[in-house]
Amino acid sequence: MTPTAIAPPRPAPALPGWLNPLLALLVLAMLCVALSGAAVGQPVAPAVPNLERSVKAAYLFKFLGYVEFAAPKEGETPLAVGVMGADDVAAELARITAGRTINGRPVAVRSLREGDPVAGMQMVFAGAASDLPKVLRTAAQNGALGVADDENGLQHGAVINFRLVEDRVRFEVSLPAAERSNLKLSSRLLSVAWHVQKGN
Amino acid sequence: MLACLAMLAGLSGHAGLASAAPQQDDIAELSLEQLSDIVITSVSRQEERLGNAAASIFIISNNDIRRSSARSLPEALRLAPNLQVARVDTRNYAVTARGFNSLQSNKLLVLIDGRTIYTPLFSGVQWDAQDVVLDDIERIEVISGPGGTIWGANAVNGVINVITRSAKDTQGVLVSAAAGQEDRDASVRYGGALPNDGHYRLYARYVDADDAARDTGQAATGLTRRQAGFRADWDRPRGGFTLSGDVYDGELAQRTGSPVRISGANLVTRLTRRLADDSNLRLQLVLDHTERDQPNQFYERLDTVDLELQHGVHLGTRHNVTWGAGYRYSRDRIASGRTQAYLPDDLAMHWGSLFAQDEIALRDDLRLTVGIKGEHNHYTGAEFLPGLRLAWTPDSRQLLWGSLARTVRAPSRLDRDFYMPVRPVIIRGVPRYQFGGGPSFDSETADVAELGYRIQPSPRWSYSATAFFARYDRLRTQEPNPQGPAYSGLTEVRNMAYGNTRGIEMWARWQATDNWRLSGGLVVQGVRTALRPGSRDSSGSFGVATADPSHYWQLRSSHDLPGDMQLDWTLRKVGALPRPAVPSYHELDVQWLWKATRNLDVALIGQNLLHRSHPEFGAAPNRSVFERSAVLRLTYRF
Repeated sequence: MTPTAIAPPRPAPALPGWLNPLLALLVLAMLCVALSGAAVGQPVAPAVPNLERSVKAAYLFKFLGYVEFAAPKEGETPLAVGVMGADDVAAELARITAGRTINGRPVAVRSLREGDPVAGMQMVFAGAASDLPKVLRTAAQNGALGVADDENGLQHGAVINFRLVEDRVRFEVSLPAAERSNLKLSSRLLSVAWHVQKGN
Repeated sequence: MLACLAMLAGLSGHAGLASAAPQQDDIAELSLEQLSDIVITSVSRQEERLGNAAASIFIISNNDIRRSSARSLPEALRLAPNLQVARVDTRNYAVTARGFNSLQSNKLLVLIDGRTIYTPLFSGVQWDAQDVVLDDIERIEVISGPGGTIWGANAVNGVINVITRSAKDTQGVLVSAAAGQEDRDASVRYGGALPNDGHYRLYARYVDADDAARDTGQAATGLTRRQAGFRADWDRPRGGFTLSGDVYDGELAQRTGSPVRISGANLVTRLTRRLADDSNLRLQLVLDHTERDQPNQFYERLDTVDLELQHGVHLGTRHNVTWGAGYRYSRDRIASGRTQAYLPDDLAMHWGSLFAQDEIALRDDLRLTVGIKGEHNHYTGAEFLPGLRLAWTPDSRQLLWGSLARTVRAPSRLDRDFYMPVRPVIIRGVPRYQFGGGPSFDSETADVAELGYRIQPSPRWSYSATAFFARYDRLRTQEPNPQGPAYSGLTEVRNMAYGNTRGIEMWARWQATDNWRLSGGLVVQGVRTALRPGSRDSSGSFGVATADPSHYWQLRSSHDLPGDMQLDWTLRKVGALPRPAVPSYHELDVQWLWKATRNLDVALIGQNLLHRSHPEFGAAPNRSVFERSAVLRLTYRF
C-alpha cells in the first residue's frame, strides 16, 4: 500500500462520443420494464415469507390473551386489531383468528392505511409505516397495544417489537410504553420476551 | 433484462422443491415459547426495504453476508452490485464506486459504526488494517454517488457504512473458525448483560493468510492479524448510549526485508437522545490511533480525535431539518525511510464542518431535499458541498428520484507533502528534490447528476435503476515543475486533468419461491479522462483513472433445501481493465451450509471455481492471481 511515486509518462486518452448507444438501449429497456411494472395493480405490503409471516401473526393473536386492557368491554364485543403496512400479515391473522376467541371474545382484523383512525382498537401492528413514532403514539393515546417490527421499534414507542434473533422471531417489550398506554402485561408474556425494557 | 434472465432460470429450476415449513394451520395453537423457537426460513427475508432514500443505496444484510462465501470485509463488499471490488493481492484491495479505482482509491468514504477509517495519507482506506467480525454486522449500507452534503469531502463517489449489531442482539457465545488452502481465520465472541438494561459483547479474532500466487512464483503479500474489542449498548426509550473499542496488530509480508507491522486502537462513544417528540440528537466522539511501520519506507503514527453533533427536528408539518457540526483533529507523524519523505514529518491537521439540510414535503408524494455542507480543511481552507434531491412517490411501491450535487476530494498528504529522495541535492542553498510535493495542488471537484427509479411491482420482486452523469475537474496529475530549476522539485503534483463518467446501475431481487431467491446486479459505465492543455502528466498507476471496467455484473442464488441446508452461489463477471491491462473474468463462488444442530452450522465454500486462476488488478507478470480454493467453516452459537 506504499505510495511509490514516479511512473513513466503515458499518452492522454481521448474523450470519446457523448452517449454510448448501449447505455441508451439499457435506459430504454429499463423504462419499458418500469412502465410494465407500474401498471400491475398489486398489494402494497412488502413481502414477508410464509413462515415468518405466520409466526408473527400467531404471536399477534397470542399477545391479545396476555394483555389486560384498561377499558374492558362487555362480553361479546370483538377484540379489534388494526394492521398497517403488512397486508399479508393481516390476511394471515384474519385466517388463524377465524373461529377462535380470546377469553370468549372473537377477534376482528382490519387492514389500516396511514392516517386511518385507531380509536376503539385493542392492538395496532405497524409493519411498515413512513412515520412509525406517530402511528405508535396514536395507538398509545387510544389505549391500544402498539406492536412494531423495526430495529428501533421500542425507541419509537412500541410496547412490543418483533426482532429476528438467530433466525427466530422473538419479541421485546417496553414496560414504560405499556404504562403510557395504560396496559397491564402478564408476567408470562414478560418471561418469554427476549428482552424487557424497564424504566426510562 | 435481468428479470427475464431470472425468470428463465426460475422456470428451469424451481419445480419439485419441497418446503421445509411446518404445517401452518395449527400454528395458532403453539405456545409463546414454541413460537419463539421456530427457525424461520431466512432465504426470503426482505432486508432491503423499499426505502424513501433518494439515493442509489444498496443494503448488504447480515443474512446476505452469512450466506455468502465472504470472510473479510472487502470480500463482503462484493455483495453490493454498485461497488467495484478488485483484489490486488492477498491483503490489498482496490475498491470504489463509479470509477477511478486504484490501490489508493480516494473518492470513497468508509465508516465502521460511524468511525471514518480513511487515512489522511492518501484519502483512502488501508484495507489490510480493517477487520470486523462478520457475524456481528447488522448491515452494510453502500451508497454510490455523492454524499458530501452529509458526509463531507471524500464522499465523492460513494459512502460505505458498516453498522454492527447492538450488543443486545449478540448475546451468548459465538465461536467461528474457517480454514482453506490459502487462509485461516477464527473469531470468538461473548455477549452478556449489564446493569440498567445494558448489554455488552467482547470479541477476539485471528486471521492468517498465505502469500498470493502470481505468474512468476509467489507475491509476498500474506498477513497475520490479531484483533480484539468490545461494544456496550444501553437502549432506552428516549435514546441510547453506545461505547465500543478495538485493538489490533499484525504483520504483513513484504517482497524484501522484514514484514510491515501494523497496529491500532480506537474508542467510539455515541449518545442518541429524543429531546421532544420530534427532535433527535446524536453526539459522537471517536478516538483513533494507528501505526504502520513499513521498513525502509516510512513509519507512520496517526492520532485522531473526531467529534460530531447532529440534530434533527420537524418544523411544522412540511419541514424536516437536520443540521450538524463536526470537528476532527489528526496528528500525523511519519518517520521517513530511505527513499521517500512526507514533509513536514510531524503534522497537526484540523477539520471543522457545519451542515444543514431541509427535507421539504412539497406535496404528500413529493419531497425536496436541499442541503449544504461547509468544511474547512488543512490544505485548501473552506470547501462547500451543496446538494439538491427531489423524490416522487406516486405510491408506496415506487420511487422516482433525481439529484444534483457538487463534491470535492480534498488534498491528502500524498498530494501535498510527498518528497523524494529523502536527502536531496542542495544547489545554491535550494534543495533539489526529484519529486517535490504539490504546493499548488487544489481539491478535485465533481458535479454529479443522478436519476433513479425503484419499484416493488409485487411482494415477490423488486428492482432499482440509477443513471448517473458526473463531470470531474482538477484531477490529480504529476507534472514537471513549471518554475524551472530554481524551484525545489523536478516533478510535482498538480490538477491538470478532467473527465466525466456516465453509466447505469441496476439491481433486482426476485423471490421465485418461498425457498429460493435470485438477485442480480449490473453496472455499465464509461469513465473518461483527459489532460488539460499544457499538461505533461507522468503518473501511471495511481493518477488519472484507467483501471475501471466498462461493465460488471453478478447473479446470486439463495436456496433453502430440505433438512436445514442452504445452497448459495454467486456468478460474477468483471469487464477488462484498460491500464494496467487486466483481462475480463467471470467466476463462481458456492456455499453449502448445513445447520447440523440447533447450535452448529457447517459450511463448505468453493471459491473461484470456474478457472484455475485469474488476476483482478495490476500489471502482468508480477500481479497476484487468485486460485480455485475450498474452505470449511464451522460456526457454533450457544
